[in-house]
Amino acid sequence: MAIGRSVPMLDAPARVTGTVDYMINLRLPDMLVGKVVRSQSPHAKLLKVDVSQALHVPGVVAILTGPDLGANALYGASIKDQAVVALDRVRYVGEPIAAIAAESMDAAEEAAMLLDIEYEELPAVFDALEAVQTGAPILHEKYTDNIFIHSKLRHSDMETAFAEADEIFEDVFTSPLAQQSSLEPHVTAARWEGDHLTVWTGSQAPFMVRRVLSEILGIPQESVRIIVPPLGGAYGGKGHIRIEPLVAVMARKTGGRPVKFVLSRAEEFVTVTKHAASITLKTGVKRDGTFTARQVTIYWNGGAYADASPLLVPQGMVRSVGPYRIPAVRVDSYGIYTNLPPAGAYRGAMSSQATWAYESQMDIIARRMGWDPLEFRLKNLYVSGDRFATGETLHDVHFIECLQAAAGAMPAGPSPEVNKEKKVGRGYGVMMKSTVSTSKSQARVKLDDSGVATLFTSTVEMGQGAHTAMAQITAGALDIPFEQVRVVGPDTSVTPFDSTTSASRSTNMMGNAVLAAGAAMKRRLIDLAGPLLEIPGEELRAEGGRVLTKDASISYADILKRNGLPSLEELGEYSTALTMDPETGQGISTPHWHQGAGAAEVEVDTETGKITILRYAAASFAGRVVNPRLAQLQNDGNVIFGLGPALMEEMALDGGQVTNPNLADYPIPSIRDVPLELISVCIESEEGELHGIGEMTLPPVAPAIANAVEDAVGVRIKDLPITAEKVLHALQERLKP
Amino acid sequence: MILIVNGGSYQVQGGARTLLEVLRDDLGLMGTKEGCGVGMCGACTVLVDGRPFSSCHLLAAQAAGKEIVTIEGLQRNGNLHPVQQAFLEHGAFQCAYCTPGFVLMTVALLAENPSPEDDEIREYLSGNLCRCGSYQNIVEAVKAARRK
Repeated sequence: MAIGRSVPMLDAPARVTGTVDYMINLRLPDMLVGKVVRSQSPHAKLLKVDVSQALHVPGVVAILTGPDLGANALYGASIKDQAVVALDRVRYVGEPIAAIAAESMDAAEEAAMLLDIEYEELPAVFDALEAVQTGAPILHEKYTDNIFIHSKLRHSDMETAFAEADEIFEDVFTSPLAQQSSLEPHVTAARWEGDHLTVWTGSQAPFMVRRVLSEILGIPQESVRIIVPPLGGAYGGKGHIRIEPLVAVMARKTGGRPVKFVLSRAEEFVTVTKHAASITLKTGVKRDGTFTARQVTIYWNGGAYADASPLLVPQGMVRSVGPYRIPAVRVDSYGIYTNLPPAGAYRGAMSSQATWAYESQMDIIARRMGWDPLEFRLKNLYVSGDRFATGETLHDVHFIECLQAAAGAMPAGPSPEVNKEKKVGRGYGVMMKSTVSTSKSQARVKLDDSGVATLFTSTVEMGQGAHTAMAQITAGALDIPFEQVRVVGPDTSVTPFDSTTSASRSTNMMGNAVLAAGAAMKRRLIDLAGPLLEIPGEELRAEGGRVLTKDASISYADILKRNGLPSLEELGEYSTALTMDPETGQGISTPHWHQGAGAAEVEVDTETGKITILRYAAASFAGRVVNPRLAQLQNDGNVIFGLGPALMEEMALDGGQVTNPNLADYPIPSIRDVPLELISVCIESEEGELHGIGEMTLPPVAPAIANAVEDAVGVRIKDLPITAEKVLHALQERLKP
Repeated sequence: MILIVNGGSYQVQGGARTLLEVLRDDLGLMGTKEGCGVGMCGACTVLVDGRPFSSCHLLAAQAAGKEIVTIEGLQRNGNLHPVQQAFLEHGAFQCAYCTPGFVLMTVALLAENPSPEDDEIREYLSGNLCRCGSYQNIVEAVKAARRK
């Protein structure tokens, strides 16, 4: 059986020999290089953008500026507020003002320096809480309070519920601006042939890119072709729309010559970020250890343009409540404009910020009330059949198993303390994450008369092993050896529709589309085999690459050959369309709730504040594991990725300018940061549904560590990242009389 | 100037160009990747006279006349180098953008120290970043490779 085996990734040899063809390797005949000229002001009117000098630089082919744009120059997931290049105003340092296509990067850089740009500075605001104050600078005139979206969840009467509480806790938790930092930057190339556009891009959502480009350019979607090679990491940063509009519009000015843009590391930091967030949690509890009510107020710093935030802020709302039975819930989730680069998804999107808040507060409550943090969680975690704050009934719920698996992987009793300066503590975290509520995946399976099956899919391979898992599911669905499956895509002119490769949705959504295509293919094969075997179709089954009964059988390949068919194709589809009431948040928010947990044991040096992770154990609910090794890499990878926002990642800003836009000053986890002992497990269920696991063990990391730090030394950090400085400062504060 | 890469000699233009640019743009050796551009991530690691260097941080001229080995120079007769084989068998990668750098760094480590302990492996590889977080499998792969 192909499903459940740790087969190597389909292109594993290419991955160890450096021959994977990422976007950066793309070379096209007559290809030009592109460079973006960016705003140096956080907020200004553009008085002048003069390109005349720059156009004279030898090797410069074309320069794109605002006046080149057509009527549909604005785009955005639902609020179209962002221009392909700035029109008459810039709203963040790094915003594209012009793009240059040239024969060489030297020429493009020389031209960039000769662009004559004049600004009239406007007041700017960078903090979301300041941006909503009266009198704050307004970024977009239509939104005078800078709030571009307000998502509401209203479940039961809050006043009554808080009145029933014995204790009420109110805390504010913050997460800073961060950057996805895939080692491969954003790279996009575009070429026009007449009215037809081909775009090669490192994108998680090729069909979204196709639709948006067709809208901006005023051409049919069929005239836009999007090709996506394997990605060198994405983590949400290549989701939605990034540099594709700029590159496609630039390429329209080059007389048919293709142009390729490769962003520098510094440009990455102004292209997409993780939402900085401030979350206030007010929670009512009874002395018997149950909850009465929770009120959540979240300010998501969306940056200067709404971008994907109108899709993410409502998700952040349902992701902020937590996995515990709370009868009354109210959430206000605000998306705020500020003069910072636009924010988007960052692995564990919105859940990481939300889990940081609710899992930190769990320990604050437990400690103050004198309860064991683990027991307090186990007592209140949702189980199957419970109703969530949206009113939806929860199915296939395994939070308790996840938490017990993580906690159970810790040795009995805490580790001994090495000396009196170094204290050891333990902490836990659990997370509950929705996936995309309304989306569609299609898969086309082609079987040829040699018995080889080809899966055509628009799922993006970005290192998670999705193509390998899909090949395994294809092999499982057709019941043929894994080695007989090929995977093609994404290429929107060849592979069928898929909404996006994000939110850990692909294994489930595309997986089910593949299963549907496989089932249809088996039915076709049985229909075709019946006359050949002279046995009625209802007595036949498809198994092991053959259609058979107990007496007779024929291989798939022979069925095709004897019917004179070179190949057969079947399309499978899987979709969900769920809605919530916009005023109350009541309804169904997700086809599946992702579930994960973590347990951390840390050592804190009380003289320096330094935190060492001695042990970390993580568990995610997978339903049914397709490839154990790839699943383990996802689980481990999430924990390691999660150490970044937990302990070190924070974009530093000065007047809206990112001052650490490089991997020297913006640290990401190295091999030395990995816990001395790291264990991860996948929880499976009897139902055996296929579920994604791309994020589940990430959001618990930061609160589990903060909880372990408090367990060790008695100080509570509420603002990420949990640096040694903050811990030491908190220790010193505690000693003050 | 002459660059000696993977056993072959190549006449290339020098100037203020990094070894990374020359390898990729002039010699078409696409296995070497730029990650951070400032010598912090190790994705562009190559061996120069057997020692690992970030090729984004080295002028091509500084490597002139020396033996340069890139990821393309490890295979023999079409067979994977033992380190590559170990990485493959232990699934020591996800997106694999960083993998050529890790493989070459491991080759250098094992040349210096044929039987490194866990902490020596972690120390030696600490200048190479894997954002996907495949570090545990990488350590296992290095341990497997040291036995070969």
